[in-house]
Amino acid sequence: MANALKITKNTEESVREFLKILLEKRKVKGVFTLKKIGKNGAVTYSLITKSDELNDAVPFYPLMPTNAGKLLSRITRNGSTTEPVAVIVKPCELRAFIELVKREQGHFENLYIISSTCGGVYPLKTATDGTIEKNLSDYWDAVKKGEINQDLRPACTACTEFTPYGADITVDLIGNTELEKKCFLLLNTKKGEELVQDMKGELVDRDFDKEKLKKFYAKREKAKNQFFNENTKINGLDDLIKIFGRCIGCHGCSKVCPICYCTLCMFDSSNLEYKPSKYESEVRQRGGLKIPPGTIYYHLGRLTHVGISCVGCGSCEDVCPVNIPLTLIFKKVGESMQQIFEYIPGKNITEKIPLVTYNEEEYTEIEG
Amino acid sequence: MNKSAETSEKKGAVLPIKTSIQDSIKDLLKNGIDHCVFDAVMIPLRVPAGDSFSYVLIKNKSLLNDAFPLPPTMSVQGAKAVSSVTRLGNRNMKIAAVMRPCEIRATIELTKLDQTDLENIILISMDCPGTMPILDMVNEPEKTMTLFNDATKSWDDTQMRPVCQICDKSSMVAGDLHIGTLGTDKKSFFIIPNSTKGKDILEKLKLPLTDSIDSWNKKVKENSEKKLKKRQEVHSDLKNKIGDLTNLLDIFSQCINCHNCMRVCPICSCRLCYFDSNKVKHSSEEYLQRAKDKGSIRILPDTTLFHMGRMMHMSLSCVSCGSCEDACPMSIPVAQIFSMVADETQRLFDYVAGRCLEEPLPLRTYKEDELHEVEDVHG
Repeated sequence: MANALKITKNTEESVREFLKILLEKRKVKGVFTLKKIGKNGAVTYSLITKSDELNDAVPFYPLMPTNAGKLLSRITRNGSTTEPVAVIVKPCELRAFIELVKREQGHFENLYIISSTCGGVYPLKTATDGTIEKNLSDYWDAVKKGEINQDLRPACTACTEFTPYGADITVDLIGNTELEKKCFLLLNTKKGEELVQDMKGELVDRDFDKEKLKKFYAKREKAKNQFFNENTKINGLDDLIKIFGRCIGCHGCSKVCPICYCTLCMFDSSNLEYKPSKYESEVRQRGGLKIPPGTIYYHLGRLTHVGISCVGCGSCEDVCPVNIPLTLIFKKVGESMQQIFEYIPGKNITEKIPLVTYNEEEYTEIEG
Repeated sequence: MNKSAETSEKKGAVLPIKTSIQDSIKDLLKNGIDHCVFDAVMIPLRVPAGDSFSYVLIKNKSLLNDAFPLPPTMSVQGAKAVSSVTRLGNRNMKIAAVMRPCEIRATIELTKLDQTDLENIILISMDCPGTMPILDMVNEPEKTMTLFNDATKSWDDTQMRPVCQICDKSSMVAGDLHIGTLGTDKKSFFIIPNSTKGKDILEKLKLPLTDSIDSWNKKVKENSEKKLKKRQEVHSDLKNKIGDLTNLLDIFSQCINCHNCMRVCPICSCRLCYFDSNKVKHSSEEYLQRAKDKGSIRILPDTTLFHMGRMMHMSLSCVSCGSCEDACPMSIPVAQIFSMVADETQRLFDYVAGRCLEEPLPLRTYKEDELHEVEDVHG
């Protein structure tokens, strides 16, 4: 049985055209994708309803202005979309959305999910100083060859989850040497198959080039191990003070984190506003007290709250005004928590979040 | 207190500079603790990694040795630090807070907004040569320290943040005591009182007001006139650049809605910002309907509305400290835009944010006989 649609044309153009046809044939009423806006061509996620507007869409642009999982949650938090919408997101964005749906912060129904194997994204600052545009051809060369581009977000160079889970359609990018000439849409679900009916193109029997992806995985895994090993240096309170000492308390990391969805973060609440007597006694005891206090408490608290669902997207580090290596810490600690529970966040919508499941027969070794 | 940038005080105390101005200020503060003029000092300390500074509330005098009364960068706006300690009151501990003039001005605005309690706080400012970008210190700590050190001597502002390069209030005396380093012989510095609290302290420390501060006043005036001229030029350029809706939308098009600018703004003190509230969280139908109306909307929409809304909310109290711009991951010139608008809104009410505690917030006062020119427009 055919399980892919082959379009003999440049991949990004094909997808753009595919999306246009979806709108024109009213298969979907909206398309959620990255788009260039304004004079200076800033790239942002957009919800598009007119097919002409898709001319400026850049579905696979290597930038993540905001983790799309967070944005999809914003749109569907109070209920699924009443009309079908096609969304084009990166694998870690999809995983973040699934984690949010598990937390009742979003709805899947009526969304057609299109994702791709992902070569990673560049840091946000490359979008403001214009370097991203210059790097684009290098980026796609590396994707075609299945190599790691070193200028990416650190989170991306060390990401082994570059294949999406649960997408209706996956666009084959990594290792596809003919990106400019041929586009392959892999149809993973019935919804995906429905979507490509009446599309121009040829239905073919095709899967990922598994050998190529395996090689790419090995490269990423090696990079991840190197990346994580740097982290072994962070040990104990003194090292935490060194790392987090420069934190200015803007909590931007929490604001952009797709998993941090609390309306009022505990660390912004009145629970952490101390009475004058508390300051007085602390200062008396210690001689000196950092103001505002609780910097490390905040980061460790957030780590405990989101670690199990951290998809390692790197948004937190990218918005940090003082370049704290948050990805390193959150990704490493997050993955080690996830391993204990054999849990890959966002892999499977039916799999419950470990902390809301109870098995009588587990972790007896900890009891012991 | 008066309304001009210069203090009404004609005389100040003069202290010799022993090893360095920073050390002499620390000696003065230790002296204050010894004489029980205050119980604790809130002052920046370099963090253990050496790549930033952080406000520390100090009771133990020896910790003052590591203090930096005037650090090269501003990590947390001092007003936010004062507010975090005193928002719920401050009963027993007299604290001397050593900050930059714009931090003191923000503290005064926050006091008017009931977010600090200055009852037991002594605000001490000093002439400020500007602040360097926060990332300079993270990336190259030692180089930044040296560059800043040189800049405090030459008063050269080319390394400073753009909004500091156009600051005409870098010596504005708004607190209780001000340390004047301009217009001196470089071997001594002025201590200028600006309140009865300030005068009492100098009296208790046996620092008589013997010397004329004319030379300081003259230098400050010269400095702020020069800066004001530059400020007006920069603002006028900026106005040409962003002075219509398309340009405005364009300049904020890179904004990723992280709201860092709001989070670090000393004036933005709302527990829950309107722009983070349920009011701006819409149903999927509404998002789709808006997209259908226009063909395409950005998600999240209303980015420029956020900035305009924030501007409306805080521009009358904006002290142009530059924290917002320092914290913006997308390098949007937020502080420059906000300072331009703030100058205009404040001028309309003959108000200067943080100039004087007794001056009421314009939006909290009602005069029957004012702003007729605005009435006329809508005539």
